[in-house]
Amino acid sequence: MSALFEADRLQMRFGNRIVLEDITLRFGPGELCGIMGPNGAGKTTCFNVLTGRYRPSRGQVRLDGEDITGLRPHEIARKGVSRSFQIMNLFNDFTARDNIVTALPGLRRRGFDVSHAVAANSAFADQAEVLLERVGLAGKGGVLARSLSYGDRRALEIGVALAAAPRILFLDEPTSGLGSDGTARLAALIGSLKGQLTIVIIEHDMRFLFSLADRISVIHWGQVLAQGTPQMLRDNEWVRNSNLGKLQ
Amino acid sequence: MSGPLLRLVGLEKTYSRGLLRRQITFRLKAELDLAGRQIIGVIGPNGAGKTTLFEMMTGSNRPSAGRVLVAGRDIHRVKYGERDRLAVHYHQSYQVRRFSKRLPSFLMQPAGETYPLVHLFDEPQFNTQDGYIGFMLDFFHRLRDDGRLVVVCLHPTARYHLQILREICEGFLFVSGGGVTRHADFAGLLVDPRVRNYLGSGMTQQAEALA
Repeated sequence: MSALFEADRLQMRFGNRIVLEDITLRFGPGELCGIMGPNGAGKTTCFNVLTGRYRPSRGQVRLDGEDITGLRPHEIARKGVSRSFQIMNLFNDFTARDNIVTALPGLRRRGFDVSHAVAANSAFADQAEVLLERVGLAGKGGVLARSLSYGDRRALEIGVALAAAPRILFLDEPTSGLGSDGTARLAALIGSLKGQLTIVIIEHDMRFLFSLADRISVIHWGQVLAQGTPQMLRDNEWVRNSNLGKLQ
Repeated sequence: MSGPLLRLVGLEKTYSRGLLRRQITFRLKAELDLAGRQIIGVIGPNGAGKTTLFEMMTGSNRPSAGRVLVAGRDIHRVKYGERDRLAVHYHQSYQVRRFSKRLPSFLMQPAGETYPLVHLFDEPQFNTQDGYIGFMLDFFHRLRDDGRLVVVCLHPTARYHLQILREICEGFLFVSGGGVTRHADFAGLLVDPRVRNYLGSGMTQQAEALA
């Protein structure tokens, strides 16, 4: 399968400190891929390089064969790469609907005139309603973002990321801060998007990824330690033992 | 490449205190040749100098005497920003110590490598619950099979630490009492009375059961 998004031998240095040593990743069209690793493994730095926040010290990032290494984050975003952050980025004083409307590409082109009459523009509002429904927030469009439950806010973030109609969506620890119910709901939401676009999820929670992802890359020490389907990774003896809790 | 990948030649580090009456508070000596394509386990009590040894091997902490040669190159004469191409220290973030630089980089030599030859893992966080251990151990094996030297420092406090050491290491270093003692295998390690003393009777018994 030809990859939609490729990272080739990425290296990232901060001064004399090497944070990413050697990262090669491939994400195919419609694939749901997981990036997993312990704390401090370099997962978020990796995302930051993939989405243009940092320029790698070495290596190349390609979208649909086009070299996008070193492009600014908004240039990469405009090419169809969306991302969410580990810490939520919502306009708290806007309604859920307006949070999505501000992210719609049509609006962006017209200029940023949010505070007035945007939600009144029915075409945008309709688009926002479709997206709200897609992320399970139907009927909550009029609620201020700050008044939404934590799980709803996570869903809204995904809605905001989807508003730009991306070809590939990067989610940074979407389950962080969620309880088991919230995690299950989020898994269902992401599962419902599966196949519609390429989704890449950084996640600490192995179980969450193992149930959702087509393929998983295990990152640690700034390198890809293992790669494969959840089944392949589960075949590892230590993983089996950890899941079964055989070792104390 | 022929010959050892990592050579510690007359290596010595001393820390002292006092200006008029200098007292040596720490001393570590090492004389060692290690070939590539193997995994070496390092154990030893806290404060014995395991991390200092790793810092000297990776060129961040300058020895008081002696040399560290990686693939024949004196790592302390290589440009600061390229030393981790010869030997890289994977430490826990709280352990990172900063050292003063002696010479500007342009007076120093290039490393001449793109991927590190020697990989030193300083007490990697092994947690049996999350299952990452398996991927880490596979990674050590991959590095070894690729001809690299892998050095793993562990502080055995649980049975699985001993299990890991026994399973993956092809040689051991015991850092203690100001020196570095080499042991060819796990059984040999357990014969050393200082190692037994360091492990304590409980861990020694568990280790013997594995050996």
